[in-house]
Amino acid sequence: MNDNTQNVLSMQNVIMQFGGVRAIDGLSLEVNKGEIVALIGPNGAGKTTAFNCITGIYTPTSGMVSFNGKNLKGISPDEITKLGIARTFQNIRLFSNLTVFDNVLIAKHLRAKDNVFTATLRLNLAEEKRMREETAQLLKEQGLYELKDEIASSLPYGLQRHLEIARALATQPELLLLDEPAAGMNPQETQELTDFIVKIRDQYKLSIFMIEHHMDLVMQISERIYVLNFGKLIAQGNPDEIQSNPEVIEAYLGGSEDA
Amino acid sequence: MGPNRMINKEKRRNCICTLILIAAVLGICGFLEANKYSYSYAISIIERSMVYAVVAVSMNLVNGFTGLFSLGQAGFMALGAYVTAIFTIPVGQRPSVYYISGINPAIANIQLPIIVALILGGLVAAGVAALIGFPVLRLKSDYLAIATLGFAEIIRACIAAPQFDTITNGSYGLKSIPGFTNIFQPLALSVICIGLMVLLINSSFGRMFKAVREDEIAAEAMGINLFKTKELSFVISSFFAGVSGGMLAMFMRSIDSKTFQVALTYDILLIVVIGGIGSVTGSVIGAFIVTAGRELLRFFDEPLMLGGVQVPLFRPGFRMVIFSILLMIVVLFYRKGLMGTNEFSWNGIFDFFKHPFKKKSKKMEGKA
Repeated sequence: MNDNTQNVLSMQNVIMQFGGVRAIDGLSLEVNKGEIVALIGPNGAGKTTAFNCITGIYTPTSGMVSFNGKNLKGISPDEITKLGIARTFQNIRLFSNLTVFDNVLIAKHLRAKDNVFTATLRLNLAEEKRMREETAQLLKEQGLYELKDEIASSLPYGLQRHLEIARALATQPELLLLDEPAAGMNPQETQELTDFIVKIRDQYKLSIFMIEHHMDLVMQISERIYVLNFGKLIAQGNPDEIQSNPEVIEAYLGGSEDA
Repeated sequence: MGPNRMINKEKRRNCICTLILIAAVLGICGFLEANKYSYSYAISIIERSMVYAVVAVSMNLVNGFTGLFSLGQAGFMALGAYVTAIFTIPVGQRPSVYYISGINPAIANIQLPIIVALILGGLVAAGVAALIGFPVLRLKSDYLAIATLGFAEIIRACIAAPQFDTITNGSYGLKSIPGFTNIFQPLALSVICIGLMVLLINSSFGRMFKAVREDEIAAEAMGINLFKTKELSFVISSFFAGVSGGMLAMFMRSIDSKTFQVALTYDILLIVVIGGIGSVTGSVIGAFIVTAGRELLRFFDEPLMLGGVQVPLFRPGFRMVIFSILLMIVVLFYRKGLMGTNEFSWNGIFDFFKHPFKKKSKKMEGKA
């Protein structure tokens, strides 16, 4: 569809098999530069598994995942983050006993040039200063600077989600994977999040690939949507096409054969 | 009064308090050193506490800050102790130490300065830890504990093996190890070791350790290589365990493989738990409390006459019963250890005295 734009992420015929279960069965998709793409589907459809295949937590049984043309096969999760893919988690995974500032600061270490000796003997002062300044800068941009000394787990739920996204942004990604960013949010918070996602996409020049159940959010900002059911892609297209697709409606509202 | 002046005032007060504390420690050590013959008992308790403080902090580095339940400390101490001992026993006394099987000619004439021997001991422990780490650090929680415990016992068994008689003197142990010449030596060594570990914990690498402790999957997603980070923490911890083992050898002046049985690891685990898992100051305080407590309670081991009747419970071994009860009380009422994950701070102390029954202020929380 967008032939002249560069695709950032592409999955080709990815199969992920756990024993006898095919969690993902021949998934092919792509995310182009600067796009917001959504992956939707009923519970257990394999959406998070797809994310785990992209971030290297799982190695696909077959098929290829590539990022900016580079095959991600056999690359460990931390290396993939270094390449420029950051993610958030369905159930928030902050460093709960650390402060807001430290949570983001840790993510900044990724691109630091120091080793354990220079760090221990404080010979890396310039690096350390840079990391702290960038962290403060990012927290200010995100409006979290006032909370920098709070313990992460003491924040209200919505702010924890926000902090998790801020922490992902600290790794300076090109592609941001959001796993149900609006889970547990009320309509007003969801609307704020919707605007927020568009804002960070423009501000940090990101491509965003997200899993989401809140259809308002998905339909409002996604440029393209992929629908997954039982590990198989059943539909793809822009929000209007998806909303009128009978297969999608059946998958969501329940067909006759399975509930 | 503006908030800035308040902070400056606090800073000055804290600075003065720190200086007083340093002066007090040096003063006490100087006093003990000057009267070392009348206070030899107190000196030995303090020296042992210093050695245990180093190894307790090193154990805390791995268990409390990186979240790896490792119980290999005694094994790494043994390596450090033996390396230090082998290279510091005066050459002239070696024939009388290795009187059974003789000494291996390769090491017979090598004698190193104490500092070099201690560092070498640490490096050997760190090297072995690096090798053990490859298989062991893929395990988690209890499994890791059992595997490290097993490796520590293997190290001990190798040291005691008759095949190594000409190096380790097998089950006869080593003696004539040069001891500390004064109390300032162990003080300086432990301050340097603990200081380095504190610097590490508060550095960017320390933050990575804590990230791994908090959530491995999230740490990985933040670009932290789990295995490398765990291995680094394990190796550094073992280095300092090795150095403290060398210090223990110098303190005891004669060692054998039985010194480094699992019981030693448990002692150190006890110190870490009592002090607070994830608190350096907690480990240091714990080292002194546990070591001193064990000695001071000796009172209960001696027969006690009350009004001409001998109290029946006061007999050798009773102090360990009292000691265990005290430990249970501490663990029951301070579930996170004496310090939890907090570190010592003057502000914390002053806040405590101002409002002794209020919950700890926010300033002290989350500094770990």
